[in-house]
Amino acid sequence: MIWVIHTLNGVSFGMLLFLLAAGLSLIYGLMKILNLTHGSYYLIGAYAGSTIVAKTGSFALAAVAAPLLVAGLGAIMERFFLRRFHLDELPQTLLTFGFLFIFADLCLWIWGGDPVLLPKPVPLASSISIGGSSYPLYRLFLIAIGLVIAAALWGLQEHTRIGAMLRAGVDDAEIARAMGIDVSLLFTLVFSLGAFLAALGGVLGGPIIGASPGADFEVMLLAFVVVIVGGLGSLRGALVGGLLIGLLDNFGKVFFPEFALFTIFVPMAIILSFRPTGLFGRA
Amino acid sequence: MANLAWLKPARNKRGATTLIAAALAAPLALAAADARAQQPPIKIGVIVPTSGTFTANGEDALAGMRMYFDEIGNEIAGRKIQLIVEDDQGKPDVGLTKARKLVESDKVQMLAGFVSSAVTLAVSEYARDKKIPMIINADGGANELTIPGPLFNPTLVRFSQNGRTPSAAAAAFIYKQGWRKVATITSDFAGGFDTIGGFAQAFCKLGGTITQEQYPPLTTNDYGPYITNLDRSAEAVVTFLPGAGGLRFVKQFVELGLKDKYPMMDIFGQAVYEPNLPQLGDAALGIYSTLHYTPMIKTPENERFVKAYVERNKRLPSDNGPDGWAGAKGIAEAAKAVGGKVEDTEKFIAAMKGVKFASAKGDLSVDKYGQVIQAMYVRRTEKAGNDYVNVPIASYENVDQFWPFSLEEFESYKYRYAELKGSTTNCAKVLEKK
Repeated sequence: MIWVIHTLNGVSFGMLLFLLAAGLSLIYGLMKILNLTHGSYYLIGAYAGSTIVAKTGSFALAAVAAPLLVAGLGAIMERFFLRRFHLDELPQTLLTFGFLFIFADLCLWIWGGDPVLLPKPVPLASSISIGGSSYPLYRLFLIAIGLVIAAALWGLQEHTRIGAMLRAGVDDAEIARAMGIDVSLLFTLVFSLGAFLAALGGVLGGPIIGASPGADFEVMLLAFVVVIVGGLGSLRGALVGGLLIGLLDNFGKVFFPEFALFTIFVPMAIILSFRPTGLFGRA
Repeated sequence: MANLAWLKPARNKRGATTLIAAALAAPLALAAADARAQQPPIKIGVIVPTSGTFTANGEDALAGMRMYFDEIGNEIAGRKIQLIVEDDQGKPDVGLTKARKLVESDKVQMLAGFVSSAVTLAVSEYARDKKIPMIINADGGANELTIPGPLFNPTLVRFSQNGRTPSAAAAAFIYKQGWRKVATITSDFAGGFDTIGGFAQAFCKLGGTITQEQYPPLTTNDYGPYITNLDRSAEAVVTFLPGAGGLRFVKQFVELGLKDKYPMMDIFGQAVYEPNLPQLGDAALGIYSTLHYTPMIKTPENERFVKAYVERNKRLPSDNGPDGWAGAKGIAEAAKAVGGKVEDTEKFIAAMKGVKFASAKGDLSVDKYGQVIQAMYVRRTEKAGNDYVNVPIASYENVDQFWPFSLEEFESYKYRYAELKGSTTNCAKVLEKK
């Protein structure tokens, strides 16, 4: 029975990783920007979410409002800063690196250095019994919501006009522009969507990982590992990569506790040595 | 690092700068009505983090120091007290640069403060070379600074705790409760090995056993695997998880339904650190922790201290508050004993090692190696009205730095704490003699 618990631990953490990695992957797929600010979106989402929960008591409101706020932040970053360096990877990456520090200091200034854990929404705060061991309902909820968001993103990409424009933009931005697609608007939209997803991960992951100085770096690193394993730019890759890393991390820590620091990186190195573009990446 | 001592300016040049400093200080001194105040001030360089993650710890220590010096009118033996505060940002290189600046350009007569162990170790080496008195009156707990050996600093006095005593107190309490088999979960870093090594040594000596040791990395986000993997035959769980880790751990410990089944001992009270308590809420109830302080100590000294502290700073003090206060009082008592001549480092430090006074933490004295001897408290998190607090439920008085061992016994063991990582389940190795 304990293996069921371990598996659920791994899958729920993997779903959280998917949420964190999906936005990063989307942004890279379309715009080729390695967004180092991604962890900051998570952090701001979690902090803002905690403030909203503290003020209104509503977790649902926090899960909508905090990501929207961060999406706006993402839109501003894309419109007024990153746009100036279109397809110029080094300045773009350095710019997002600079924003990472600015956001980290801003968070420290606004929310202080004490770690914050979001309270869980009340209906999900209890535990249920699985084969004699209790298991938190919230983690099961994470698995469910992860699947819902994966389905929604897949539907958006495959069955909507925006999704078609997005796929066209990923394949060849120049031709898409020539066909009359407003690529510049698309860029802003996708960048905000990526920020939105990271901040949503911040609110939903808030009761487990929480927000603290340095969490932005930790989350960014996790998201990068997932995206690299799954393949840059692939949503399916983010989902499979997230689940794979979540499970490997969990069982790695159980079977090889002395390598706890590497349970994520060793699989990454092995996968990369066989598939340099990741599981679903395109060369 | 290369020793550049031979590069330092010739003696007469240093004399000249002192003269200039005295001349600059003169108009200030004249402003004071008391003729004795014409003596140059006692300058204390305070190195604490006032930015970054450990800001609150540094500010608490500073607040405690200021409280004491205000109580005595900021004057000792006719000399004004001047604090020069520098921010080390929790980084050893920054701390060392600030120490140099304080000693070489501000000409402070002593250094105080110190939250990060890394900063403390870096500055101690410098202060020892320069023979500058160093007073640790904040978290900086590196054991070796006050134990004879390569890192020992004879001009250092610590008025806060060292790393191993809260561990030894935790072992004593757990054993007394009748729990003989424990599982440990410790953050994977140097401070963690020192803490859990100290615990293992004291617990093995008493006759207890560690049945399982786990070391999650400091950056662990999800403690689920460690908690699910917990050895179910253990009678208690012992943790040392600083920073956000303690908070995450306790929440998940409750959710996975194990907190009700296993008593938890949080060495140093990292998870039940007062600012965490409102967030943990009921999850924190019943957790045991050990530390040399809690604002809930019922003594007149502490009640007076807490009241004054809350009035001034609008929050309850952490252990750094009374540590800061105690260090300030130690400095003042020693300075008084040498008639204000703090420049005579040897006499000043000797006097500081002889101080004895009551404080919010309890009665304090200093051993000959410069480590304060004080009480250790076992606390339990309880609810008082709407607040969650750490209530003292047991205490060990006059705990010196080797407690419950003598220096001789302490030094007779073969392995240093850091070397015991991975072997704490083997008491024979833990207690192996040289």
